[in-house]
Amino acid sequence: MIRIAVCLASLAMLTGCVTHTEPAELLQLTAETPKHRAMQTRFFETPNEKELLSASAAVLQDLGFQVEESVHEVGFLRATKERSAREYGQYIQRGLLLILSLGKLLNPVDLHQKIAAGLITRPLNQAATKQEVRIVFYRIVWKSDGQVDRQYIPPGQQYMEMIRDPEIYQQFFAKLSKAVFLEAHTI
Amino acid sequence: MTDKRCIIGGVVLLVGSLLLHGCSTPETPKDLLAPTDAQLKIRSMQTRTFDVTDRNAAIRGVIASLQDLGFIIERANEPLGLVTAARFAEPNYYDVISITVTVRQDTKSRLTIRANAIYNNKPIDDPKVYQNFFASLERSLFLTKG
Repeated sequence: MIRIAVCLASLAMLTGCVTHTEPAELLQLTAETPKHRAMQTRFFETPNEKELLSASAAVLQDLGFQVEESVHEVGFLRATKERSAREYGQYIQRGLLLILSLGKLLNPVDLHQKIAAGLITRPLNQAATKQEVRIVFYRIVWKSDGQVDRQYIPPGQQYMEMIRDPEIYQQFFAKLSKAVFLEAHTI
Repeated sequence: MTDKRCIIGGVVLLVGSLLLHGCSTPETPKDLLAPTDAQLKIRSMQTRTFDVTDRNAAIRGVIASLQDLGFIIERANEPLGLVTAARFAEPNYYDVISITVTVRQDTKSRLTIRANAIYNNKPIDDPKVYQNFFASLERSLFLTKG
């Protein structure tokens, strides 16, 4: 009986070691692409790309972000902010699971997160009278430690999430359009 | 008594030799940095030339198509024509795809664009993946031209 269990456990460990290979449909546009692009993009009727870029940086700073990288030649900005990711709901769930599993299951909770934004400005036509701004928000979350039966899960496990809440993008563009005194048009 | 000592000595020797075994370094293969046919093949499928005059617009086109593909732009360098981006292979959040694209001006009217993609520290050598990338890049370059 023990031998079978050991065999099964070692098999399970082995499958964990297999590295995933890439699927062939990787780097292909999906049906979701236009929807995401529309949510993340606005265009402004202005020839001044640099002003738009520096106004975007100012808005991100207002939102508590630190600008980490900027390349004005291609209209690129990357900014991040770190915040706590603790949520009461997760702690309650963790406690309930611990009681229900008779102390055997300790679910890891989210501890810390890094929210990041990548922003690109781009002239839309040859005369550069229209400029497009596209911003992508995402977050990386670090988890706490946990336990499954006798196996300890060390803290620091990460996962990443694209932020796809339209309201966050709307808020950003509302602030940006106020900052440059221009209307933000949807594409 | 001597028997016991003998056994203990034997065990110590055995464990010692096992420990030493881990220290031996594997021999370096002679052809470590030699070019291979596979390398040439991978390079050719990672590279495309385009009849585009505006290099800056091409770099912006590369960035736009990477954003369309869900990549997060990490670094860009205009003078060198370099763009580095990464994304998690949704829905597998534990797999990472990173890509470096270089844009080089060959002649006044021709550009060479090369993309290197890596999936979890392993270079992608599936031509289909690069075809997908260049298909979306062509669309984006075509859109920027207008």
